[in-house]
Amino acid sequence: MALLRRKQRDDQPIASIELPECTPICDTEPRQWVRVSGKVVRMTARPTSGQPALAISLSDETGIVTAVWTGRREIGGVTLGRKIAIEGVAVKHGDHLEFTNPGYTLLPK
Amino acid sequence: MNVIIAGAGSVGRYMAGQLQDSGHSVTLIDNDPKVVAQGQATRTPVGVTWCLGDACEVATLKSVGTAQADVVAAVTGDDEDNLVVSLLSKQEFAVPRVLARVNNPKNEWMFNDMWGVDVSVSTPHLLTGLVEEAVTVGSFVRLLSLEGGKARLAEVTLAEGSPAIAKELTDLGLPRESTVVAVLRDGHVVVPRGDTVLHQGDEVLVLVSGGVEDDVRRALVG
Amino acid sequence: MHVIVVGCGRVGSEVALNLAAAEHDVVVIDRRIESFRRLGDDFKGTTMVGVGFDRDVLTEAGITPDCAVAAVTSGDNSNILIARVARETFGVDHVVARIYDPRRASIYERLGIATVASVAWTSARVLRHLLASESTPDWIDPSAKFTIVERRVPAAAAGTSVANIEASAKGRVVVLARFGEATIPQPGTLLQEDDVLHIVIPADHAAQLEAALHHKEGSH
Repeated sequence: MALLRRKQRDDQPIASIELPECTPICDTEPRQWVRVSGKVVRMTARPTSGQPALAISLSDETGIVTAVWTGRREIGGVTLGRKIAIEGVAVKHGDHLEFTNPGYTLLPK
Repeated sequence: MNVIIAGAGSVGRYMAGQLQDSGHSVTLIDNDPKVVAQGQATRTPVGVTWCLGDACEVATLKSVGTAQADVVAAVTGDDEDNLVVSLLSKQEFAVPRVLARVNNPKNEWMFNDMWGVDVSVSTPHLLTGLVEEAVTVGSFVRLLSLEGGKARLAEVTLAEGSPAIAKELTDLGLPRESTVVAVLRDGHVVVPRGDTVLHQGDEVLVLVSGGVEDDVRRALVG
Repeated sequence: MHVIVVGCGRVGSEVALNLAAAEHDVVVIDRRIESFRRLGDDFKGTTMVGVGFDRDVLTEAGITPDCAVAAVTSGDNSNILIARVARETFGVDHVVARIYDPRRASIYERLGIATVASVAWTSARVLRHLLASESTPDWIDPSAKFTIVERRVPAAAAGTSVANIEASAKGRVVVLARFGEATIPQPGTLLQEDDVLHIVIPADHAAQLEAALHHKEGSH
């Protein structure tokens, strides 16, 4: 993340895409909007009710969350080993949190 | 429990009243100012909190505390609204249990986890089922669809000649993916156990997962 | 291309007429037969009375994964249903939904549905999103040297940095909209599938922009 933080220069635009401020996964709670980042450690197709769905497991050093995108088989740039951030409201799914159709940000390799 | 009901028609108001009576905390959302005004003025159903707004908008759902709700019931007369309310409830507020009403049976196929629906209730289906239950003896009547159609609650009234009569439940050969939930006999509910013996005229309520309906039908109807 | 337009209101009829005039194979679906009057007598496409998220109606309208679907009825909820059924049940890639409520639009964008906001929309914009090959400019400067082009980022460009696109097309990204929210990106911002770019480029660099957007990440 430090790579992409630059010193404010006079010619920099005022409003810009801010880099995600992320919560360590171990500190996250269900049913609250949260943003986490980590590495995609698992990716599976998880068809349900006859429709495709993409499921990933995301790990930062403190824990794991899962995310499911309904109706899709793949998302550009989301691959095994990729660092991404996801944000949204998650449910408690067994021993971890699960996000459904969260927003995501591809992070630099 | 905190329950939010979208749609204050007769179904929504009935549900609200019943749930509030049982001690739950109920909020009713409706987009019609006259309906909400009347509900607030007459204080019916008793104890229910009213909200005037479009339940399909995130702001409305947020304002009624959906983030803390245990159950959202989308029971408007419009299938599209019910699906969108369900999706928002599940995806934006992670509501543990989302129930949605199906108005047009043609749309039933969408009422599942794709739209955040945990339990779908098809009013016409249910009504038909209840009518069938009342008049039909000896056939397999589907009452309610759960888990997006993966499980069904069905009812069979044992007719003369049913292979299940005079048998203990354990001897019926019912498949593993089915459970006899209750036996209604002479106006009371018999809690089923392995050694419960079935009689002609018993109404057997059984929970079945999709694949084994035929096996259950064979065991109870013949 | 086979295009299904659901909703024959002002913009739906305009979209249908433009598509038919451009020799596309158009089917217009609307719940009310009176709506088709907006198409006039010379409309070369087909009309169908029906509900646009009904699977049988869509099948009868000739829906296939290679076609395009524009959900442009007057109801946000109908449009999102139509869009999801088209995408997820029928596997259609080119789907556009008209959504009035920007808050919900951002939620639907997270489902991978291309939405066109009611505020800024015209049939031209719907067409631009529907047929990815169309890149009619938002603006051309008076000297005709520069144009601002609006483009949806394809999956192939996911992971490419804004700086890379800018360098290849010799332009600057003015605004990047992601999940319905518009922002001014940093050069290091990585593009994602379905991002909407508004990029100012030299008028003769449209081809370079297209090439840059279809160039897989890591091959720069």
